[in-house]
Amino acid sequence: MSQEESRQRRNGSRRTGGRAAAAKRPIGSIALASVAVSVFLLGLYGLARPGLVGTREAPTNRSLKIGITQEFENLNPVIMSMSATNYMYRMVNRTLVTLDENTEWKAQLAVEVPSLENGLARFVEFDGVRKLEADWHILPAATWGDGTPVTCHDLQLSWEVAQSPYVSIPNVENYRQVEQIRIDPQDPKHCTFLYREPKWNFDRPFQFYFLPSHLERAVFEAYGDEPEGYEQHSLYTRDPTNPGLYHGPYRIKEIQLGSHVVFERNPTFYGEPAHIDEIVIVLIPNTGTLEANLRSGSIDMVSSLGMSFDQALAFAKRVEADALPFHVNFQPGFVYEHVDLDLDNPVLKDANVRRALVYAIDRQGLVDALFEGKQPPALHFVSPLDPWFTDDPADIAYYEHSRRKANRLLDEAGWQMAADGFRYGADGQRLRLKLMTTAGNKTREVVQVYLQDQWRGIGVDVRIQNEPARIFFGQTTRKRQFEGAAMYAWSTSPENSPRSTLHSGWIPTEENGWSGQNQPGWANENVDRLVDALEVEFDPQRRLELIHGIIGLYTREVPVVPLYYRSDVSVTPANLTGYRLIAHQVQATNHVERWNLESEAVDTSRRASR
Amino acid sequence: MSADALEVDRALREKQLEARPMWRIVLGQFVEHRMAVVGVLVIAFFLLVALFAPVIARVTGLDPSRQNVLARYQPLASWEDASPYEREVRIERFEREADRAALASYLQGAGLVGPDVPQDELFYALVGSQRPGELLGLLRTAPVPEDPQLRRGLAELEDLVAGLRGFHLLGTDELGRDVFIRLVYGTRVSISVGLLVALMSGLIGLVIGSLAGYYGGRVDSILMRVTDALLSLPILVVLIVVSAIDLGKVLGGTPLSFVVDHQYESVIKMVIILCAFSWMQAARLVRGSILSIKEQEFVLAARVLGARDRTIIVSHIVPNVIAPLLVAVTLGIGNAILFEAALSFLGLGIQPPTPSWGNMLHNAQDMVQHAPMLAVLPGLLILLTVISFNYVGDGVRDAVDPKAIRR
Amino acid sequence: MTGFVLRRLFQTLVVIGLLSFFCYYLMTLMPGDPIDEMIAANPNVTSEDAERLRQLHGLDQPAYKRYWNWATMIASGDLGYSRTYRVPVSEILGKSLLNTFVLAGAALVFSLLVAVPLGVWAALHKGERVDYVVNLFAFAGISVPSFWIAIVLILVFAVYVPIFPAGGTSSISFDMTPWESFVDRARHLVLPVLSLSFLSIGTYVRYTRAAMIEAMSNDYIRTARAKGLSRDRILIMHGFRNALIPLITIVALSFSTLFSGAIITETVFAYDGVGRLVFLSIQRNDFNVAMVAFMISVSMVLVMNLVADLLYGVADPRITYS
Repeated sequence: MSQEESRQRRNGSRRTGGRAAAAKRPIGSIALASVAVSVFLLGLYGLARPGLVGTREAPTNRSLKIGITQEFENLNPVIMSMSATNYMYRMVNRTLVTLDENTEWKAQLAVEVPSLENGLARFVEFDGVRKLEADWHILPAATWGDGTPVTCHDLQLSWEVAQSPYVSIPNVENYRQVEQIRIDPQDPKHCTFLYREPKWNFDRPFQFYFLPSHLERAVFEAYGDEPEGYEQHSLYTRDPTNPGLYHGPYRIKEIQLGSHVVFERNPTFYGEPAHIDEIVIVLIPNTGTLEANLRSGSIDMVSSLGMSFDQALAFAKRVEADALPFHVNFQPGFVYEHVDLDLDNPVLKDANVRRALVYAIDRQGLVDALFEGKQPPALHFVSPLDPWFTDDPADIAYYEHSRRKANRLLDEAGWQMAADGFRYGADGQRLRLKLMTTAGNKTREVVQVYLQDQWRGIGVDVRIQNEPARIFFGQTTRKRQFEGAAMYAWSTSPENSPRSTLHSGWIPTEENGWSGQNQPGWANENVDRLVDALEVEFDPQRRLELIHGIIGLYTREVPVVPLYYRSDVSVTPANLTGYRLIAHQVQATNHVERWNLESEAVDTSRRASR
Repeated sequence: MSADALEVDRALREKQLEARPMWRIVLGQFVEHRMAVVGVLVIAFFLLVALFAPVIARVTGLDPSRQNVLARYQPLASWEDASPYEREVRIERFEREADRAALASYLQGAGLVGPDVPQDELFYALVGSQRPGELLGLLRTAPVPEDPQLRRGLAELEDLVAGLRGFHLLGTDELGRDVFIRLVYGTRVSISVGLLVALMSGLIGLVIGSLAGYYGGRVDSILMRVTDALLSLPILVVLIVVSAIDLGKVLGGTPLSFVVDHQYESVIKMVIILCAFSWMQAARLVRGSILSIKEQEFVLAARVLGARDRTIIVSHIVPNVIAPLLVAVTLGIGNAILFEAALSFLGLGIQPPTPSWGNMLHNAQDMVQHAPMLAVLPGLLILLTVISFNYVGDGVRDAVDPKAIRR
Repeated sequence: MTGFVLRRLFQTLVVIGLLSFFCYYLMTLMPGDPIDEMIAANPNVTSEDAERLRQLHGLDQPAYKRYWNWATMIASGDLGYSRTYRVPVSEILGKSLLNTFVLAGAALVFSLLVAVPLGVWAALHKGERVDYVVNLFAFAGISVPSFWIAIVLILVFAVYVPIFPAGGTSSISFDMTPWESFVDRARHLVLPVLSLSFLSIGTYVRYTRAAMIEAMSNDYIRTARAKGLSRDRILIMHGFRNALIPLITIVALSFSTLFSGAIITETVFAYDGVGRLVFLSIQRNDFNVAMVAFMISVSMVLVMNLVADLLYGVADPRITYS
């Protein structure tokens, strides 16, 4: 080995030694490399060719793809518990009565809603106890997808299934209300419900679902006495594309849990045939990806279980700026964002302190600043869309935004403002409040900060502490461990009795197994009395008086700080007509058969806004 | 060979026989690795930023927790006006601090406020009349008063108005907080978590690896099985499960329960979790190194000479083990930072309002198309930091590798 | 040899069993259970309902008992019933597992195809500019947070320059021919695979390069060159083959990292795979799904370890197992 080579070996370079071979090298490896790279790029280009699937043309009645971010489960109505499932369910099945897009109760599968006035409902006596019974007639044209008529036997089956201790049904109250179902032997579409207690809202069984007895009864009889036996063997689980399971405007063509569901038009639907041939609901759990898919055309529409509010606001601006073919729909609803106050906390025991907290908040400013006014401020637990709503100052205590009043109330309550901007009690304790909510919810975090600012302005030291929803709901609020203020939302429906949230008997305690939603721990005997009377009052006028009385006490004593009503938000393609975003529990899919992507009668008001 | 060649060889050999301290050799080799040096510089920069974060905050007047819900998602290099509440609170404090009657009449005299505005509303009216930027200009060009007390009052008023404006170099996030200062404080959290985890897991790995390597046999077998088992776990899954545990449930009645209510609970939890699952690599390296050293002559000689186990370990084995351990720790820092970011991104790690690069990314997800910088910047910083640590680790490895020592 | 394999298999089973208990116990420490979620979603659920449901699902029993029930159920072949989806676990798991395999497999193949040539190339040009660039690229690969690169990829290739779909497993459409369907799946795989491969490419490039350098500096290479063999032959027959050993080990051992990476990639891209399923089911305390998915991934990794050890023995004739 020459000294030259040995030195170069030590230095690690191969310049000299390799020059002889260098002539071979470039052709060999570089050629190979360039071939490889070009094949790769060609392959990518081939795949990337837009136009294969998912261009952004306006969707037609052939197919509509809707994106949701929330998980869904199988569509057995008796065990379903997720709102996404509820959303889809209304496309394939209906109920006796429904709440329509104008927030009015209408008969759906029933021919007529029974009432005391039209004689279809009446009081009866059973062993000296006064009970209520009602006649229900099912629409003659209603049939399941395989042609079998929808009858009262289907109601009977779901009622029986709900009573079973072996079925994991989330909420049996809807079914337990009914003590007995008597089916007319001559007409299986006619039956009489006997109600356990005569409640005035018996005529709204919108969560009393139908199970196809011609298919499911056999399953229930075979497996009904094993724990979870029925639900594991139900046809909704085993054979979900069976047309006999669905009687609505659509039926399920394909379902893949955790991914998507494909719906096709049901030819046996009793009502007007749906315009859109096929609807696909796609689960995209990540909201950013959801929006990307919407813009690229992979999905055409985002349901109300989709975008976050901030995202929707920003997207609405983008739609305006770039003239994108979408409508962003906002609809205030029945979800009541509020702050529960722990009435066992010594600081909050004083009603004046609570009132001061309400005076200090500028609710209108909050919704204007954070939501561009698209979520209405709340006065109390009854939504402005609810027939029971009142803002009459004669009925309720009204708190305008007034820092002076707030400051004065706190002064009177014995909390003195010190130089550091905080208030101190007679014993030298700082006026502290812990404010909790679910972690990871950006809107709530923003509102928290807003509240903290405003309450700090009147001298309250607010400490923010958030927890994941699982812990927050499962433990902290349920067991009343939040010690101060807990911010979250209730989902209500129109004319809903506030028993579980305001009645003193429903304060969660260890003894009663933490049942009830009266988290503040409000015990007011007047309220108890009014709530009890409300549920059995059949005169609508008198009911109104009772609920207004409750609202009055609620606003005067402030067990809860009302914030605002959440709006639902959805994004629809510009050429979709017949769609109304609905913000109560019976979602927009309730009128899915009216959705139309190819209607000539284009809404002129919308054209102007574009 | 020629005479020259012999000369060269002898010179080289002499140089080789020159005694140089180990650390200098290592350092010399390290410096040769260009990218490692760049990495060290970058890390030093980040460390400085992390250490002096409060100073930076004070100098720029920015506060990572100061939220302004009226100035959310502001773009890069924008000015933000304080919220009305902030204004009110500051003015109230201003009024409380001293008697402002003279200042009030001066302002009226200078024409900055209408003559019929009552004093208790005067300052509110003044501040509310226009944006802080313009107002500041007006105040500065107003005629200077003679009275020193008045001059001081005016200066305090100017301070107040100046404080109502904020400049945001990198814009604001979803709660109106300044992104730049949050990134700076995020440096603190991310790097301290990374360092802490790497050091602690290195220590644990050292102990376990030493035990396994030195004692061998059954001990070694068991420890290695445990290590392998833990290494085979899909880390992220376990991290997700463990980080979701409610520490309160576990530590409730014990003396450690103070940890639960602490402001840094999420950080502590994160450090513990990451430590528990990062020591394996170090343990393996240490064990391998010990195994190879154990059989070498000098150890045998020491034992024959009667040295105790402890002496052998401390004086002979540990110095030789430091090298691979150092490499493992340095590379481990990068890994720890990445894991922390991943967990925070999934919403399970550091909880807001404590800023960490990972959780800033988490919050920026759904607005990624409307405010992409919020998502791009933290990730970029993570990339820079981790790549620097990796280069440094590589440099250290090259530097201490005995086979690579060429002098 | 068979003795060795059997012993290792037995050890693996023991480890899997212990890990399963460990994981199950950890999950019981998580606050809240599926019933609480149900209550949160539906305010009408009363405490009697909750009690009844808890008893029905056996959630009121202590952890070790529940674990025992679960273990015996699994041993008898019944994978259990998913609390979240209300269907048997096998139904949900089957399709997702396949999807994840496709994703991870494609990422693995792609990474190897890119990384090995790059690593060899860099090794051959050690110290030159090419080497630096490849090194930089590799380091970037192992340092980049995968969720960040996923977001950036979506931003660039699906929003700003929309040439790839922004997530999902495939398009939902029924009139696609098998070929079109295949191409569609491939399109949806491009970005996730790219995002998942960054880390692997970085790791493999570095190992290949290091192994090649190590191999190339060995004495027998010098001997082969002295004997007059061409460079390429040396490369392939000797250098590369010896570099294979650590590479195989690394590849086999990277299964667990691949799986962890898949969780994040699948979540961001909404890819219907088992990683995302595991994450969601842990969040929802859906024990059955989470445990089965966990067991599968752990077993896969442990089996891969065993395979790696065996392959090691095959590739390196110096190693024998007794």
